[in-house]
Amino acid sequence: MRSINSILALFSREFLITYRNFADILSIFLFFLLGIMIFVFSIGPNSEIFNQIGIGIIWTLILFSNNLTLRKFYQDDFNDGSIILFHMSGLSYEIIVLIKLIAIWLFFQIPFFIIIPIATILLNIEIFNIKIIFLSFLIGSPILTSIASISGSMNLLNNKNFAIGSLIVMILSIPIIIFNVGMINASEEVIKAQLSILLGILFFFLAITPWISAACIKLALQNK
Amino acid sequence: MKFLINPNRFNKFSDLILKPFIFISIFLLILGLFFAFYLSPNDYQQGSTVRIMYIHVPSAWLALLTFLIMTIYSIVGLTFKIPFSFIITSAIAPIGATFTVICLITGSLWGKPMWGTWWVWDARLTSVAILFFVYLIVIFLKNSFTNILLGEKITAIFVIVGSINLPIIKFSVDWWNTLHQPASISKLSASSIDPSMLRPLIIMTVAFTFIGLVIAILRIKAEILDRKIDK
Repeated sequence: MRSINSILALFSREFLITYRNFADILSIFLFFLLGIMIFVFSIGPNSEIFNQIGIGIIWTLILFSNNLTLRKFYQDDFNDGSIILFHMSGLSYEIIVLIKLIAIWLFFQIPFFIIIPIATILLNIEIFNIKIIFLSFLIGSPILTSIASISGSMNLLNNKNFAIGSLIVMILSIPIIIFNVGMINASEEVIKAQLSILLGILFFFLAITPWISAACIKLALQNK
Repeated sequence: MKFLINPNRFNKFSDLILKPFIFISIFLLILGLFFAFYLSPNDYQQGSTVRIMYIHVPSAWLALLTFLIMTIYSIVGLTFKIPFSFIITSAIAPIGATFTVICLITGSLWGKPMWGTWWVWDARLTSVAILFFVYLIVIFLKNSFTNILLGEKITAIFVIVGSINLPIIKFSVDWWNTLHQPASISKLSASSIDPSMLRPLIIMTVAFTFIGLVIAILRIKAEILDRKIDK
């Protein structure tokens, strides 16, 4: 019972921090929309082209905006030492990682469901494809969050090379981008196969992320 | 087998085997190149360009083998807390990266006359290119921490995560319809290569392995000395 209480307390703390710093979420979405506009300006406003490559643009920008959330996972809690306090309140580091995963996914990925339709309107993507985009995003976004968690926990004490965190996210998310974008304009059977592979990747990452992130946090705490 | 995990034993053992290994690798390299250029026939379709294979395939094998060794050492080092295994992992990562570059460049040179293009986005080529980037990230990640002992352990964790790529590279030619041909040499069935071409290929592979071992020994010794100076 006590551990459930501390889990809920940690979750509500995450919610409060995000709510009081709401401009943070908004600027990530602004980054997403501005990125789409930059793509439109750099390619030229040709709706035929965007109907074909729009999904790729949307997924690229989801990945890039996911990179912006890297330092939100553990960096602040690690720097002011509150992650040790969470641990002292009876939660293992693995549980803390899981709570953080759920919180970041809810606050920074779910709102993309509102923003993606706007992007599809801007890019003239057909309505039929929007359903598949939503489905692929629902499965793909938790994987991206787990990868961001792995990268964020690896770079807690990294003070020499800040770009490497984004590199880790990008190299690990290549299969997700491939299978998500491959789902568009594919036949029913291919979509089913791709979905199964994506689900497999999702459960794989959900299984390994808590252990990897917790191990990295422990290593960083030992060497702080 | 203690020399695999103990730096002092490793130093003693490597002093013993370094010179023979250098001679073996030079001898085998000359022998293999002689076989590859003079004693093996032209391919009936590919002509003389088939000889690129004698560099391409060994370097590809060694690129994978190096990452496999790094993965095993990372797991062993994290589980049993052996610092020497992290030294080996960080010392052999540039060797693997180099072999991956050799594999990519020779493959590209081979692909231009045969497939008509330097590069295609086919599963095998893409996954090997990803392997190259993983190697680079491993090298950069280790150097981006002020505390080198922490950097090694974090790098070891990343190596374990990045080893997902190895089975993808191995089976990419079976899982997808690729332009790259499937494996011709297999342990379970007879190989589909003619013996006259198989002979230089195997000699070159052994020669490349010995060259890689010699460079690895030199790099690991240098790394051990480097750590001693730091202390």
